[in-house]
Amino acid sequence: MAGGTIWKGSIHFGDTNVSVKLHSAVKEERIQFHLLHRRDQVRLHQQMICAYENVPVPPEAQAKGFEVEEGKFVIVDPEELEQTTPEGSRMIEVHEFVKAEQINPLYLDHVYYLEPDSDLFSEGYGEFVETLREMAVAGICTWTMRKRFYLGALQASGRTLRLYTLRYSDEVIAVKYLELQDILVTEKELKIGCDLINQLTAPFQPEKFENEHQKRLQKLIEKKARGEKVVLLRPKIVQPTAPDQLLQALEASLKKAA
Amino acid sequence: MAVQGIWSGTISFSLVAIPVQVVKAVSPGRISFRTLHNKDWSPLARRMFCPKQEQIVLPGEIIRGYEIAPDKYLPITDEELESVSPERSRTIEIVEFIDMDEVDPIYFDHPYYLVPAKGGEKAYRLLAEVMARTNRAGLARFVLAEREYLVAVKSTEGALTLFTLHYSEEVLPADGMAPKAGRIDAKGQGRMAKSIGKMMADFDPGKYADKRREKVTELLKRKMKEQAPVEAPTMEEKESEGPPDLVAALEEVMRDMKRSR
Amino acid sequence: MSRNIVEIGGRSISLSNQEKALYPSPGFTKAQVLEYYGRIAAFILPHLEDRALTLKRYPNGVDKPFFYEKRCPTHHPAWVQTAEVVGDNSRPITACLVNTLEALLWVANLASLELHVPLARAGSPKTPDAMVFDLDPGEPATILECARVALILRELLSRLGLAGYPKTSGQKGLHVFVPLNRQDATFDDTKQFSKAVAVIMQKNYPDLVIARMAKELRTGKVFINWSQNDASKTMICVYSLRAREMPFVSCPLEWGELEHLSKLGDPDKFQVIHAEAIRRAEAMGDLFREVLVKEQRLPHI
Repeated sequence: MAGGTIWKGSIHFGDTNVSVKLHSAVKEERIQFHLLHRRDQVRLHQQMICAYENVPVPPEAQAKGFEVEEGKFVIVDPEELEQTTPEGSRMIEVHEFVKAEQINPLYLDHVYYLEPDSDLFSEGYGEFVETLREMAVAGICTWTMRKRFYLGALQASGRTLRLYTLRYSDEVIAVKYLELQDILVTEKELKIGCDLINQLTAPFQPEKFENEHQKRLQKLIEKKARGEKVVLLRPKIVQPTAPDQLLQALEASLKKAA
Repeated sequence: MAVQGIWSGTISFSLVAIPVQVVKAVSPGRISFRTLHNKDWSPLARRMFCPKQEQIVLPGEIIRGYEIAPDKYLPITDEELESVSPERSRTIEIVEFIDMDEVDPIYFDHPYYLVPAKGGEKAYRLLAEVMARTNRAGLARFVLAEREYLVAVKSTEGALTLFTLHYSEEVLPADGMAPKAGRIDAKGQGRMAKSIGKMMADFDPGKYADKRREKVTELLKRKMKEQAPVEAPTMEEKESEGPPDLVAALEEVMRDMKRSR
Repeated sequence: MSRNIVEIGGRSISLSNQEKALYPSPGFTKAQVLEYYGRIAAFILPHLEDRALTLKRYPNGVDKPFFYEKRCPTHHPAWVQTAEVVGDNSRPITACLVNTLEALLWVANLASLELHVPLARAGSPKTPDAMVFDLDPGEPATILECARVALILRELLSRLGLAGYPKTSGQKGLHVFVPLNRQDATFDDTKQFSKAVAVIMQKNYPDLVIARMAKELRTGKVFINWSQNDASKTMICVYSLRAREMPFVSCPLEWGELEHLSKLGDPDKFQVIHAEAIRRAEAMGDLFREVLVKEQRLPHI
C-alpha cells in the first residue's frame, strides 16, 4: 500500500475541479551508514564551526546570508524569508496539456500517486484519468506546497492519476554544454550495431533485478560483526575498444549473440 | 555550471567497451544561503564533532560505520565497501536492451550525462545513434560510492544519458488509489476531451519560472539597495619581513631612493 | 545551434554560435572574439606554450554566469595537447595546453574569453619562469595609484639589478613581471622575495601600499599581492581578453608609456581595447618578449 497522505489539493482547469490527496509512489530502502571517529568508533555529531575563531556556534548565534561577492553577504531575516513563500492555496492549476511522449525524462523529479479526496469534490477523477489515457496527454500544472512553488505533470497510469514534479528549465543542463563532437560512423557499423541491439533486446521486466549489492553488503557487515576476516578484491577494469577495432568488436559481438 | 565529472570508467555492451565519464545533468536552481556567525559575519563550516573526546575531528580521522546494536557501531572501510561488488565498480555493463515504449517513467530516479573519454568518441556516437534509431535503452548495473544502482542508458539529442532506476520493490503499489470503476459518462468525457483539446501545446518547461526563487531574488535586490552588504573578517597574516640579507639590501635601496628624490 | 566547420592547420574545428554577442554592450560577437585571438595568435602563443590553462568560460556572455575549468574538457580534439598536472586537492588532473593556433581557437570557441596560466610551465611546475608583482587597487584608488607603485617598484628592482616589465591586468590593476628563466628559483624563493619587497614598500609608503590581504585595510591603497607567486595560482595571460563590459585586453606597456599615462592622470587611458592591442603588437612587436627569454637571478636569496 502506498504511503500515507502527504498533502491535499485540488486540480483545476476550465470547468474541471478534482480534489485529491497526494501519496508517495516510491520508497527507498537503504543500509544506513553513520560517520564515526576512527580512534574510538564513537558516532560523530555535526556542528557549525566559525572558521575565523574555530569555535562551535549555537543556532541562536547563527544568521543566514547570501554571498553577493567574495566575502560579502546580504543578511536575510528568517521572517523576511518566510514572507517570500508563496500563498498557500490548495490549487493545482493546469495551464496546458502536452503529448505525454514529449516529456523529456531529464525533467522528471519526484512522483506522487493521487487519490480522489472523497471528503471534497472529486467525482471527476475517473473521467479525467480516462481522458488523459485515451488522448495520451499530460497536464502541465503549477502549485504551492510546503512553502515551495512546483511545476508538474499530471499523467494517467492505468486508472490511477500520477503527479510528477518537473525541474525548471534552468535546472537541466542542455546537451550542447557537453560540446560533443560530430564523428562519422559508417552505415555498416550502424547496421551491425542495430542488429546487435535487436539481438540483445528483452522485454522490460524490472522485477528481475534485485539489489544484489545491498545483499552482499549485508553479508559483509554480518561477517565483520562475527569477527571473520574479509577478503578484499580488486575492482575489475575493462580495456576500452580502440576506434579502429570498433567494427571488429561489433561483428564479434553479433556472432556471439546470435 | 561546469560540467563536473562524478565517475570515470567504461560502459560496455557485449564486446564493445567505451571509456566515459559520468557528469551531472541537472543542477538545483535554489538560491543558497551561507550560515554565518552573527557576531562577526564569518561563514560557518560543517565539522564533525566527537562527543567523547569533545573535539572536532578532521576528515582523515573519520570512518563509516553501521549500527549493529543501539549505540554500537561496526566500522567499514572504503576498500571493503568497494570490494562488495568489484566487477561493477569501474564498468557499466549493459546486459540487455529494452524498448523505450515499455518503460514506465515511474522507474526513473536521477539523471546523468555520459561524455566520452579520449579514444571513445566514435564508439560513443555509434551507441547513441543506434539506440536512437532503434528506440532502445540499455539496462545495466553500476556501483557508485557505496551504492549499487540499476541504470538505464538512453540516447537524448545525440548524447547518452544515464538514469538511475528504482528497484521494482521500491515502487509502491498503486492499489486502492483509483476509485472503483464506475460508469463513465461518455458525454462528460467528450466535453472534457474538447476542453483539453483547446489547451494543447508543445512541452516547453522554459515557460515556467520558480516563483519562490523570483520572490527571494526580489527580496535580495531590495535588501542590497537598502544597505551595504556585511563583510566577513579576513584572516590576518603574520608580517615577518623576510630573509635578513634581502631585508637589509632592500632597506639600503630604499634609503638611497629616498635620498635621491 | 549554428555550426560551421573550418580547416586550420590541417585540422577541422567546428565553430558554434558565431553571431552570439558575448559582450552585449558593444555587440562584440563570438566570431569577433575568435578573430581577435586569430590575429593576436603569433604574440600570445609563446606565452601560453606549455602552460596548464585555466579556462574561464562565458557561454552566455560577460553579463551571465561564467565558470572556471582547470580540467581540459574531456571531449577535446586529439590535437589539443594536454598535460597531467596536480590539481586543487593534490590529485592529478589533465589540463589543456594551448600550443597551436588550432588549440587557441578551439578554446576561444568554448567561450573561454579569459585565459589564465601559471607562472611555471607544465613540464616543470615547481620552477617559475618569472616573479610577479600583482598590483590591485582598493577603491577609491585606481590604476593611477598602481602606476605610481609600479614606477617606484621599477626603480627599486633596477637598483637590485633586476628588470621588470609592466602590463595592464585589463581590469583595474597592473602586473609587473620579473623574468627569471633560469630554473634555479623556486616558488618559495619568488614568494619570499616579492613579500619582502611588498613589506618594505608598505613600510616606506604606508598611505599608498598595503602588503596584507585584509580587505578592510585596502581603502585607497594598492595591494601588492605577492601571494600570487605560487604553483597553484594563475595569472591572466598577456594579450588575453577580459570579461568586462568592454573587450579590454591585458596589454603590455613600455615604462615610458606608463610614466606618460601617469602624468596625464586619466585611468581610462590605460585600458587597451582589442583592436588597439592588435595594432600595437603589429607595430611594436611583443613588448613582453623579454619576460620569456631574459635570464635573471634573484639576489640575496
